[in-house]
Amino acid sequence: MIMRTPVQAASSQEAKMKQYAGSKLVFMSENTPPSFAIRDKIKDFFDATGITVEVLTDDLPVVYQKVGIDVKGGKADFPVFYSQDKPIGAALADYCVDFTKFIKDDTLPQDPDGYGADVWFDNFLDACGSMYEKGKIVALPYDAAVACTFYRQDLFEKYSKDFEKDYKYRMEFTANTTWKHVLDYATFFKKLKQAGQDVPYGYGQHLGTFAWTTQLDIQRLMYSHGQWQDFNIDDVLGSKTPGPTNWGDATSVEMMKQFKAMSDVSHPDNLANGTLELNSVYQAGQIAMQVQYHEFAASVEDEKTSKASGGKTAYAPCPLGEASWIKNGGKAVNGTNCGIGGIAINKNASEDIQRAAFIFATHAVSKKLQYSVLSGLGGTPTRKSVLAEPDVIAARKRPTKMPNALTFEAVYDFGIKAPNFVLGPKIPEVNEYHKILAAEVSKCVAGKQSAEEACNAIKKQTDNANDI
Amino acid sequence: MTQNKNATPEGVVRYVEGAKVLDYLPQVFNVKPSSSYYFWLMAPALIVLAAISIYPFFWLIWMSLHNVGSSAGDTFVGLKNFEKLLTDDKFWIGWGLLFKYTAFCMFFEIAIGVLLAVILNGHRFENILVTVFLMPMMMAPAIAGLVWYYLFNSTFGWYHWLMQSLGILGETSIIGSTDTAMAALIIVDIWQWTPLITLITLAGLKRVPRDQLEANMVDGASAFRNFVAITLPNIYPFLLIGIMLRFMDNFRFIDVILALTGGGPAESTKVLPVYLFDVSFVFFKLGRGAAIALTLLIVTIILCKLLVRVFEGPASKRTDMGS
Repeated sequence: MIMRTPVQAASSQEAKMKQYAGSKLVFMSENTPPSFAIRDKIKDFFDATGITVEVLTDDLPVVYQKVGIDVKGGKADFPVFYSQDKPIGAALADYCVDFTKFIKDDTLPQDPDGYGADVWFDNFLDACGSMYEKGKIVALPYDAAVACTFYRQDLFEKYSKDFEKDYKYRMEFTANTTWKHVLDYATFFKKLKQAGQDVPYGYGQHLGTFAWTTQLDIQRLMYSHGQWQDFNIDDVLGSKTPGPTNWGDATSVEMMKQFKAMSDVSHPDNLANGTLELNSVYQAGQIAMQVQYHEFAASVEDEKTSKASGGKTAYAPCPLGEASWIKNGGKAVNGTNCGIGGIAINKNASEDIQRAAFIFATHAVSKKLQYSVLSGLGGTPTRKSVLAEPDVIAARKRPTKMPNALTFEAVYDFGIKAPNFVLGPKIPEVNEYHKILAAEVSKCVAGKQSAEEACNAIKKQTDNANDI
Repeated sequence: MTQNKNATPEGVVRYVEGAKVLDYLPQVFNVKPSSSYYFWLMAPALIVLAAISIYPFFWLIWMSLHNVGSSAGDTFVGLKNFEKLLTDDKFWIGWGLLFKYTAFCMFFEIAIGVLLAVILNGHRFENILVTVFLMPMMMAPAIAGLVWYYLFNSTFGWYHWLMQSLGILGETSIIGSTDTAMAALIIVDIWQWTPLITLITLAGLKRVPRDQLEANMVDGASAFRNFVAITLPNIYPFLLIGIMLRFMDNFRFIDVILALTGGGPAESTKVLPVYLFDVSFVFFKLGRGAAIALTLLIVTIILCKLLVRVFEGPASKRTDMGS
């Protein structure tokens, strides 16, 4: 439902905000803290604009399915929707409105901080907003999940001397800790466990049912070693015609072998553990390390549900590539990837609904809201200016009232910066690619096929999906 | 339309011993309705039926012959979607897993269901026990899947703890291994749907002629012989209904599988309907999805026909004997 009171460029800010008073929008979003916060504070938005917004939330795959059916059916039941960079953004970019036309429109209220690449954290606008065409912005950064290492500092301190005796180096986590070190740590903990000691397993991977995060999990390992990428395409823009995949080359086979080696010393229920289950395993004190998304720090630090809380967990960047494992001559980096959740507007909606949706989208990505989510529910801001707030600066050190801020050094100061950050692959068939990858990696981990067979199977099926 | 030639606006005229008798009957009783009259009576039902089944069926065929849902619009591709299935390993593996899953579920559900029905039939607590056994059936399959997911979970699952304590499982959960995940799905299906077979069989058992059972026992037949010779043939038609229902459900229900394993680990539980779901609503290749759905529909119809034929044999034989 849309109602409009026409305004001019010279109209007041209040008039521009209220030009669609009486209208109703439906926002389809993922069940993450920012969406809950928006729903909790939706009255503020209504008071400011007169627009009623119904916020619907669901698991990410369900959001994708519902939005996909809506936009591909030529409908706009969800005029504004959550657009996670690759699973939704890359797959449905053709159905998203280009924000640049509204950003330039002086009859619409604009965020005083603006929307340029410099107001967001490094690469965030590119991650969710740039799809296939330069200059277009198909989504604005709404929330972020960036990978970093969570590890049990208390256990590392307790067993460091025993480890050093066996491996001749210290058990610690820094930006120079390599994947080989992680493999050694995990092997050490497993040996202790098998010797009957009361210790957790060392490590766990992102497998389970959520294919996208399995792709991200192995991508971190692969990108760390010579910045290997799935396709020879622009990492920022992606491509609708990606060409043959690089799976099957020497680097991919070597990395698949190392991924399998990691799985052999991981938590015994590794194959069933998706991202959420892995975090539960860590919270339950069953593993000593996990590479996890920084939005999970709030749950890890929750003393009511987590055995890893109360200063037991420390946060570090993603592991560095091991020089001796690199096969393509590239350099070792701390391969870090992300899920940048954008907010997008449905192209099928009428011009007025799109404009009303834009007013809501700017509210959803405003500094004020992001700060309130971070301090209230444990969100993950996308605007740099949030981190400049004095209490956010203070929250980066224990004791803290904003547990996610404990990860900011590893994530915002290090992980997302070049050369560590990888955005892609952005291709239209990205969800089929994720499924193929997750299935073949899981079969390799389960011992059903060799690393080489897994890589070749991924290549064959992926090229087939991309009509190669 | 055949009109009664004696019908007049006032009524039907007839002559009794030369006297004119006018029967004041409503005209409708004397006029045989035309076939179009029946057509219009049935039209509302036909329209509803067409809307909910015939239209989607033809739409399915149309989609299977097109590339649907791309931003460039729908394009005719002929039989290409079907051709692709021939070389699609996941399609064939999905069929294999579906047959395996269905066969195990049906075998155990029929065996346990019939056994339970025989035990419950005439039991003093029959009504209470039947109500208790039916409870799993009342649960929505998606909820059942989630409940069992939590029970099987290796971190906090009570059943996992129990099975581990009994030495049946190690540290890996039943849904975390490619060797056992299918068993987990079968256990849930048996738990939820065996009561349906029990209920249907119980209805059949109530119809078994007591005189035949008694006559057979007088002839010295054992209880088992009695069951095979008298009871089983009598409950065949009921079992057929149960088997058909469960067969069709197993071929199409994916709620529990999606909630419990999502087709994993390593695609060990990716039965064809789960693959169909992926192709249609994850990859959004609706044309290829329609082709898979059509093959699934055709095979289901053929197998149902075969099942009916297999079970109709003994049932009709029994009827012949009876007559």
